Amino acid sequence: MNVGRLAWPTPTGAMLWEIWGRHKLNLCWQGIALATSVCLVHWKEQGAPKDVAPLLVLFSSLCFLGAYLSLLACFGYIEVDAWGVRLSFPGRLLLKPVSTARLVLVPMFFGGLVIVTSFAVWTELVLRHLGNIAALDRLWISAVLLSFFWWMQVLAWGLPLVKGRMLVVGVLALIHFLVWRLPQMPRTALSGWQWPILAASLASAVPAAWLGLKLMRQGRWEGPLRISRLWSRLRFARARGRRRRFGSAFGAQFWLEWRRQGWLLPGISGGMALLMVPCILIGFKLVGVGTGPSETNLRAELILPLLLLPLVISVLLGSVLAKFDRLHATDELPIYLAVRPMTNGGFVMAKLAMALATSALTWLITVAAFFCLALLGKGTLFSKAGLVTPYGPVAFMTGCVPVLLLLVIWTWINLVAGIGAGLTGRAWIGGAYMFSRVVLLDALFVLAGSAMENVNFRATLLHWLPGILLVCLAAKLGVSVAAFVGGLRRNAITASGAGWIIGGWLGCGLLLAGYAGFVCHAINQRGLWIWVALAGFLMLPLANLAIAPLALAWNRHR
Amino acid sequence: MKFPSPSSAEAVIAVSGLSRHFGSKAALDDVSVFVPRGSVLGLVGENGAGKTTLIKHLLGALKAQAGGVRVFGLDPVLNPVGVLGRVGYLSERRDLPGWMRVDEFMRYTQAFYPRWDEHYAGQLLEQFQLDPAQKLKTLSQGQQAKIGLLTSLAYRPELLILDEPSSGLDPVVRRDILEAIIRMVAEEGRTVLFSSHLLDEVERVADHVVMLQRGRVVLNGRTEEVRRSHILAVLAFAEPPATAPVLAGAHAVAGYGSEWRVLFGGSRLELEAAAALVGARVVEERTPTLDEILVARAGGKGS
Repeated sequence: MNVGRLAWPTPTGAMLWEIWGRHKLNLCWQGIALATSVCLVHWKEQGAPKDVAPLLVLFSSLCFLGAYLSLLACFGYIEVDAWGVRLSFPGRLLLKPVSTARLVLVPMFFGGLVIVTSFAVWTELVLRHLGNIAALDRLWISAVLLSFFWWMQVLAWGLPLVKGRMLVVGVLALIHFLVWRLPQMPRTALSGWQWPILAASLASAVPAAWLGLKLMRQGRWEGPLRISRLWSRLRFARARGRRRRFGSAFGAQFWLEWRRQGWLLPGISGGMALLMVPCILIGFKLVGVGTGPSETNLRAELILPLLLLPLVISVLLGSVLAKFDRLHATDELPIYLAVRPMTNGGFVMAKLAMALATSALTWLITVAAFFCLALLGKGTLFSKAGLVTPYGPVAFMTGCVPVLLLLVIWTWINLVAGIGAGLTGRAWIGGAYMFSRVVLLDALFVLAGSAMENVNFRATLLHWLPGILLVCLAAKLGVSVAAFVGGLRRNAITASGAGWIIGGWLGCGLLLAGYAGFVCHAINQRGLWIWVALAGFLMLPLANLAIAPLALAWNRHR
Repeated sequence: MKFPSPSSAEAVIAVSGLSRHFGSKAALDDVSVFVPRGSVLGLVGENGAGKTTLIKHLLGALKAQAGGVRVFGLDPVLNPVGVLGRVGYLSERRDLPGWMRVDEFMRYTQAFYPRWDEHYAGQLLEQFQLDPAQKLKTLSQGQQAKIGLLTSLAYRPELLILDEPSSGLDPVVRRDILEAIIRMVAEEGRTVLFSSHLLDEVERVADHVVMLQRGRVVLNGRTEEVRRSHILAVLAFAEPPATAPVLAGAHAVAGYGSEWRVLFGGSRLELEAAAALVGARVVEERTPTLDEILVARAGGKGS
């Protein structure tokens, strides 16, 4: 039988063809991202407005980051098993008559080659035009990117069943981030060791991956399975006496959501924040504390991510949240959930409640990490007087509470932003929504930048802004009403569910408007209040939440 | 063989004129099925005949493109809570949350069904010899089927839908599952819709059978009536035909030389008349099994 194009002369060819076959759309997106970034850089160099230029730089950098992460997914050779539990080297390949060395080397070396080449192309066409990437930095960054890629593979292939592996990968990312910054540190104790450290990391990755896969292939190692089983037994025995039935279906569904997704944001961002505290303190001990501009900048660069982590990670996790089981092979609603007697609105409400709880817990952990840093770094990083005394501790704490609430709500908004699109169970809709969101945000930034630069345009924009905001709000309300009516008609949501969503939106909106009014009054800018209040009502999700039960109905009843 | 119609008994399942296309392929074409309360319906057909598609419509996982689906008189798409609260479902695809333990899965499922019978669930747990501390991902195929069945039976659903429940299972587990179903039907008079490739199982359990072929209902009736409406006969020819004889009403003809086996759909008189037309006589005959009927109809691609 002539199988034509399907016949590959070597297993390596077949493995590479498989990577191409599975990820060609992904690789095409990379081309689009590169082309877009080249156009933006060209626009910047041809004289884009001054205030827009930083946004173009930011967007192009994000495109590069997305392309790099996407390459990790393409060449990582990390797949979910049929159970949706184990994330590891594709099991089907372990059964092929191919040496372990080949199985390890093909994705590691070809993936590495593509990553390094891709970085070189991005640097030449885009990154070079954005900032100062010296010749040494190019080589250094390539090596760091390659090292992270390889060690991610080592962990994924060697520790398939470790529960906290995502956290381990997070720590790995943090370590590589710090290693990447080594040459830019003002004074570093590791300056003579930076290349040997990286070389050792690169050299040890391949044997470590080979060993992990070899042991797994021989059935001698499936990660610390025994420890995991023992821990599971202990937990079961401890909890046995305390186990009670769930009070309601909502409670059970909330528990499922929490167990599957709830710990992700607190675990990643909170855990990273707690881990950053000793890293920052040790870093400052090594570097020494100064008051010069470079130390001040470094301080800001290290501390600011601590506070921005939950917001950034919540944006990234938002698309994951719409799935009921993040490791489920397809985007469809798993059948064990689809056959439960619960309304689509009920499923959505449990998801929203979980997102709110997870946001609150994340910020509690982040605040705890920040206070740890403030206490441990007292006299080193901060002066107590500079932070607290001008307002007094009580006033300081009281002032923090509304800000903290706003941050919790903001994180929640990030998490649920794509819920309506994600619940459709169609990946292309989720992708299209995210793309349109990025484009809209960019357009808003460009509009704002142009307004800041051009006085006439600013005056025109300010004249029309209340009207634009009102039209947007009316459109949002119109879409929401239509979605609620459609949902009620199709029994996708109950009247009480719709009431909770509308009530929550109104309540949060009024709270925000009240707070905005208080702040505007305090800074003597009363005219701003109505705009801030309108923007608040626009930002808070309503249409998205109204659409969510309908979207789930479309997914559940195909 | 007009069975069952909505007028004959209260229909728990009433599917009328249901059609469903996936792209250009017709998965279901004008399917009508009525299942009265207390009956056990066997849904049979070759792979891709549309059995799972029909079951998905009953669960509301698919929306009817044409025709209507009513379960307990309700539309499962518009009223999933009303329907699914009274339906137990066990699928061939053991799509269970592998990260949950057996007891967690039971507690989770219990929360959705107010009529969950804890005592009965405990009995089934013991009978199936399942370890509550074990994670679902570590269970064998048979144990997965058992936990699936347990969580489908423990709230004593009025309708049990089983989609290839014993697919890929060993005979011991198949027997356990069948016995649980038989006991439920015998003791409580529940309605069961049972889809399977293993037609000896269907013959043993089902009192009615619906056969689907390429999305169409080709047989619908009481199991015994369906069997008796077919004859498996051996025809003897005085002159051996060079090619397979064409017999009106025959679903499959196989053989060589002067003796040919025929699966015939009709009465004995009709068979004799058809045989005489092609110059043959009936030398042996018996009632075929469901398996033989399905194979003949699937092999002959229907009439």
